[in-house]
Amino acid sequence: MRASKQSQHLARQLFRLSIEDGRVSADRVAGVLAYLEKNPPRQPLVVLRLYHRLVGAEIARSQALVSHAGPVSADILRGIEAAFSRKYSRPISAVPRPDSSLIAGLRVRIGDDLYEASIAGQLASLSS
Amino acid sequence: MSTVIEQIEKQISQLSSRAVKKNTGTIRSVADGVARVDGLSEVMYNEMVQFPGNAIGIALNLEEDEVGCVVLGDVSALREGDEVSTTGRLLSVPVGKGLLGRVVDALGRPVDGKGPIDSTETYPVEKIAPGIIVRKSVSQPVLTGIMAIDSMIPIGRGQRELIIGDRGTGKTTIAIDTIINQARINRQGFASKDPGFRPLYTIYVAVGQKNSNIARTIASLEAAGAMEYTIIVAAPAADNPANQYIAPYSGAAMGEWFMENGMDALIVYDDLSKHAVAYRQISLILKRPSGREAYPGDVFYLHSRLLERSARLAGKGSLTALPIIETLAGDVSAYIPTNVISITDGQIYLETDLFNQGVRPAVSVGLSVSRVGSSAQLKMTKQVAGKLKGELAQFRELAAFAQFGSDLDARTKAQLDRGSRIVELFKQPAFNPIPVEVQAAVLWGMQNNYFDSIDVKRIVEAANNLKEFLTARKTSLLDTLRQKAAFDESLNAEFKKALDEWKSSYSA
Repeated sequence: MRASKQSQHLARQLFRLSIEDGRVSADRVAGVLAYLEKNPPRQPLVVLRLYHRLVGAEIARSQALVSHAGPVSADILRGIEAAFSRKYSRPISAVPRPDSSLIAGLRVRIGDDLYEASIAGQLASLSS
Repeated sequence: MSTVIEQIEKQISQLSSRAVKKNTGTIRSVADGVARVDGLSEVMYNEMVQFPGNAIGIALNLEEDEVGCVVLGDVSALREGDEVSTTGRLLSVPVGKGLLGRVVDALGRPVDGKGPIDSTETYPVEKIAPGIIVRKSVSQPVLTGIMAIDSMIPIGRGQRELIIGDRGTGKTTIAIDTIINQARINRQGFASKDPGFRPLYTIYVAVGQKNSNIARTIASLEAAGAMEYTIIVAAPAADNPANQYIAPYSGAAMGEWFMENGMDALIVYDDLSKHAVAYRQISLILKRPSGREAYPGDVFYLHSRLLERSARLAGKGSLTALPIIETLAGDVSAYIPTNVISITDGQIYLETDLFNQGVRPAVSVGLSVSRVGSSAQLKMTKQVAGKLKGELAQFRELAAFAQFGSDLDARTKAQLDRGSRIVELFKQPAFNPIPVEVQAAVLWGMQNNYFDSIDVKRIVEAANNLKEFLTARKTSLLDTLRQKAAFDESLNAEFKKALDEWKSSYSA
């Protein structure tokens, strides 16, 4: 089903309500979900999906997903957190994710931004 | 051997020390050559984006929570959830002389099977047109080789002259004739080793045409030896609308390279009606608000920003544009025709009725105009064709009145007679451009009453005979005329002598 303008507007409003001190608040999200359960909108599924996407994107903006082929120490993760928090001027937490397909190196994803420092990624760019 | 190993090691060391930042998104949906992408928060308008499988796209719709991209290439391999990344670059195409003689697609990739393009430079497909200060007024001619056009609707280098008419009225033929004539002039100019000679390179952009038509055009150009000075950009009807939308801009970028590097180029957009239709299709799929005839609001800007890129630049070269528009049932007041008419510096209007009457090229003198070309017309043509347009317009008016009455005074009869002779004189077969000095000589003959005693039905034959006579037996006279580019007293006397000789031999 195509989202109506009202549903898009409502999802954005609910998303704005879910932000506290510049970050997504778990309490507020729970409150929004409870409200939606009590007062279902015209397109409940559509609104929830849009809301889910907005919240997911916001969480991704404050998370550095660190894909790595070899071992990554806690110090390196802390270094990544510090560097990206400085760069984006907001607190960023690093989440490690082992990925042997990278061959070697790291791939860090923060929201839409992707930092490619893996051998697999560089081989792919060479081949293209 | 060790140097090879060192090179690889160097490459590895460069690779391992570099972290590349990309802005990414994921495909939400793909339909009709348009992908809707989640993410790409840093993408710029018109930026090239990279899809999986080496397909590229252009970001055209930047919305609050998604980006609409047209995909240039095969969309069948794209799936929902695939990753898309920005490139930080605008779409560019290869440019340069290495493209001459080649047939390329909308992205400048060769499609003629003649191997890779020999080009190291690229130009962005979308570029802001030259401003006011750098422009220079039109003063050098573009000779089409078509007598009706060169004498009455002259085109200058840097001009935008629209070719408009219904289907099957010979619009493409005029463009191809012009390209063939440029090749002939270029060959002649290079052979003369004249340091002041400025060749005119041509670019033919085929938008939304049948592949068979494009193949026929290429064959005609090859047969006339014009391909070596021509680039063909093909976005046939089978291509996706995104390629058809981008092809004229790619052609313009290739033409701009010649202009920026002090050379002259001519670009034919065949045709902009189909280009507008392709853009309408993309816009509707992108869910942009539609206006008149379902075209988006910026359809005027679509063509104005393209045609404004044609110019004559001070201290550099020029880019002349011959856009083609197809009308429906002769309706020049439709949306796209009026838009393009208002953008261009004149139009050559081709009439179906004239075409069916056997007047080919079927140029309607009354509705055709060249707003800036007269200052680029050669003096010799001006001398012999200055009054022709008026005479023909009078003839059409009188011919319409003459249909109602049988009694005509001698003056009217003479005008009608002369008009019908001029119409016959301008008949010219396709792909047979006439050198400008021959055109001027034939028109000189008409102005000096050498055709008056010839039966109207035999004017075409007589004119052909005169052209053959002049090119075979009076080459030096034609050469003198070409060099002087004007009739003076001595040339007038020599032409009188030559045409008297022709007249006696032709009558006999």
